[in-house]
Amino acid sequence: MTTTVAARPSTSNFSRFLRRSGRNFSQFWRQLSRNKLAVASLALVLVFALVAIFADLLYEYDFVTSNSLENALLKPGESGVVYYHEKDIEHTFILGSDNYGRDILGRLVHGARVSMIIGFATVAIALLTGGILGAIAGYKGGLFDTLIMRATDILLSIPTILLAIAIVAALGNSFFNLLIAISTSMIPGYIRIVRASIITVKDQEFVEAARCIGAGDLRIVLKHILPNITSPIIVQSTLNVGSAINWAASLSFLGLGILPPKPEWGNMLSEAREFIQYAPHLLFAPGLTILLTVLAYNLIGDGLRDALDPKLKR
Amino acid sequence: MEKILEIRDLAVNYYSDRKIVRAINGLSLDMTAGKVLGLVGETGAGKTTLALSTLNMIRAPQGRIMAGTVRFAGKDVFTMTKHELRDMRGKDVAMIFQDPMTALNPVLSVGEQIAETVLKHEKLGKENAWKKAEAMLETVGIPAERAKEYPHQFSGGMKQRVVIALALACNPKLLLADEPTTALDVTIQAQVLDLMRKLIRDNGTSVLFITHSLGLVAENCDEVATMYAGEIVEYGSIDQVFGKALHPYTQGLFGSLPDLSESTMRLKPIPGLMPDPTALPEGCYFSPRCPHVMDICLKKHPTDVDLGGHRVKCHLFSAGSASDAGRPA
Amino acid sequence: MSARTPILRVNGLKKYFQVARGSLHAVDDVSFDIDKGKTLGMVGESGCGKSTTGRLLVRLHEATAGSIVYDGSEVTKAGDREMKALRTRMQMIFQDPYSSINPRHTVATIIGEPLKIHKKVSNSQEYEDRVHQLMATVGLADRLYDAYPHELDGGRRQRIGIARALALDPEFIVCDEPVSALDVSIQAQILNLLMDLQDRLGLTYLFITHDLSVVKHISDDIVIMYMGQVVERGPTEELFTKPIHPYGRALLSAIPIPKLNARKERIILKSEVSSPINPKPGCRFAPRCIHAQPECSVADPALREMGPGRFVACRLAEQFI
Repeated sequence: MTTTVAARPSTSNFSRFLRRSGRNFSQFWRQLSRNKLAVASLALVLVFALVAIFADLLYEYDFVTSNSLENALLKPGESGVVYYHEKDIEHTFILGSDNYGRDILGRLVHGARVSMIIGFATVAIALLTGGILGAIAGYKGGLFDTLIMRATDILLSIPTILLAIAIVAALGNSFFNLLIAISTSMIPGYIRIVRASIITVKDQEFVEAARCIGAGDLRIVLKHILPNITSPIIVQSTLNVGSAINWAASLSFLGLGILPPKPEWGNMLSEAREFIQYAPHLLFAPGLTILLTVLAYNLIGDGLRDALDPKLKR
Repeated sequence: MEKILEIRDLAVNYYSDRKIVRAINGLSLDMTAGKVLGLVGETGAGKTTLALSTLNMIRAPQGRIMAGTVRFAGKDVFTMTKHELRDMRGKDVAMIFQDPMTALNPVLSVGEQIAETVLKHEKLGKENAWKKAEAMLETVGIPAERAKEYPHQFSGGMKQRVVIALALACNPKLLLADEPTTALDVTIQAQVLDLMRKLIRDNGTSVLFITHSLGLVAENCDEVATMYAGEIVEYGSIDQVFGKALHPYTQGLFGSLPDLSESTMRLKPIPGLMPDPTALPEGCYFSPRCPHVMDICLKKHPTDVDLGGHRVKCHLFSAGSASDAGRPA
Repeated sequence: MSARTPILRVNGLKKYFQVARGSLHAVDDVSFDIDKGKTLGMVGESGCGKSTTGRLLVRLHEATAGSIVYDGSEVTKAGDREMKALRTRMQMIFQDPYSSINPRHTVATIIGEPLKIHKKVSNSQEYEDRVHQLMATVGLADRLYDAYPHELDGGRRQRIGIARALALDPEFIVCDEPVSALDVSIQAQILNLLMDLQDRLGLTYLFITHDLSVVKHISDDIVIMYMGQVVERGPTEELFTKPIHPYGRALLSAIPIPKLNARKERIILKSEVSSPINPKPGCRFAPRCIHAQPECSVADPALREMGPGRFVACRLAEQFI
């Protein structure tokens, strides 16, 4: 005998999903907004992202990659005449010009685009690869676990900078190879985090309960375990974006990766070395930008970690 | 009779997530020296908060004492100096927590932990402190040779006995026992409580025995108080309250218990849930769940009525409502 | 005596775990039957193997040895397809309402998942209706459909677990300490619910608990476990009025009774030394038993029938009748 239930209008699944997501998000936002630094960093990162996306509207790419030696080493705020596209243009160099007469701010803007792409692409690649390997190691255990973890240990025993240099040296200097080098160094971290998270969660009672109602392995990993391990992964990924940008800059500084005249914050730093004494703005501009960006990502990561901590929910 | 603890109109709030949690609301309670008072209540009633308030351990900014006084042996706990408080805690007032696993320091041997507290509060040298520690362990049934062992080498029941030894080492006047045996198996629980009863009888310790089990209260306590939504709703001697429970909540608690001696077909649980401490109802806090609720219960908060030492906070017994003859709402 | 129709027969069930120090005998040669529509209460203290036994019945652990026959099917040897079918008939309610439901899923998702896995509904309207029906059956308000577990108290969370167990219309449910983590007044609500459901749906229960007053209330028969073995078995009324095994008697004497002047002779047990790892032959309760004799530690005492449906594993059982 079943209890009869009055018929109810079926609210669409999607609208219910939206309402639920809205509730979840506002709760999360309330937690995060307590951390003023994190919010400020988020604003900064958003500004940089917009700048990166709309780089072409601010400065033309050709403009920042063409030489204009008459205007070399101008101080921030100075103006000069640039012969560009067969015309003489009056141009104010907001942050000054480099030793080739190129607008520093313009190069920073386009460099932002490069950094952003590198940051997110490497994290995406590393997350997918490391995540799958970590999931197999954590969930299956046994031989899979041993093989994957030992491989990870080997990878981790090689200093990151040497690994990156080796990869780029072997595969050649290109944007794509730079991505490979950087993401390879991030993969072991993801393998470990995902594996540890899965091991923690897979012995919880609700996973047992899922098995009891007949859920198979795939359903358990995707629907039960994955949603519960997103927090450490999100935090790590945010920190990794900052770290990737840092690595890209370091490798370009060393002459591997993005080479001039392509604008990239790291190679801008490298080129600035000669002129530290009499044109320090060449150094400070890209240096501070890298610093602010990486710091911002780190602060966001910290803020996220606190906001996503399930213990604070109750 | 000397009163070891006098609490008057205590109010304690917690602040979390922009909400105000009213943990204790106008609570008054007396404890007679040398007696065991059972404090019964369910999760969220505020029992642990009460114990912590007694030791003035409610920390700002999460928690604040809003009003009221707590007098221990005549001295106001809230106006004591840090020095006096330190003296009181551990020596005059000791506390046993629910989980023996986390109450003991895992990197010190059990003997060291007891000796440490003895050294701090009594003027004994290291040698004598250790001897006292061994003696305490013997009284709780743990051989003195094991004093050098670490907590993880003991079982749950034995750990809790160590905790009891620790609490009683300096012969406190008042023992706050917060669910001391909930984490233990029932046969071990019986052993541990037998032991505790003997020790407190021998030393004349007063005990505030916090528990959710009416059975334990019947067997170990002299007096009992029921707590609901941050206040004491009924108080009396064991004979009075177990003989005839007055407050509907206390009656409901008795009705919820499966009785070993009768085979009742259906239990009589109290419908509903304890009120949200951030949004307490108007009038009597128990009114939404009370089977005898009247008009006045929804409007006016009941005050204590003393019926020969048996006190109850309920309009069914207030002088005023007697004339209303309990018209149900 | 009416013909007994056992729907579950457990015989010689064993589960040994390999640990660092050796072999942990969690469940060691356990046998019992449960009749259709009845409740068998399984009591014992921590480490006695009752939870492990429950999990063995629903194949959350693989048995080391022994057989579990449910309505003719051998559960321990069932293949994937057969097991999936068996799962629609045998379900489990877990102890901890805080960890047995996925904190990231809504109430509806949790309750409805079994329906999705076994394709019991063909469209989303049917799914919604069935979930609402289950919620009503266990007393969860309609508006909680999209709620998350952390928004609800222990009692409501446990109702979610019960609704999930009922989703596939099972016949047999293992209740693993379903009320131990709940307040006394909520316990009573849930116990009443479980008993109502048994009446209405004709369910068979294995009710695992350490709380003797609760088990008396809900069980028809009781089995007492100690260190992985059955020490006593019998109808509830009889077992409570006249326990035979020394452990059973000590257990019963230890229960605190909420009545005046009910303090009775407490049977105090000796020190707590036994270990379930590489256990030696002989009665495992002997080290704690005040009646123990040297012969008790020589060989495992057999489970002997002392009366209709009444079994005791003690050499000296006759003394205690």
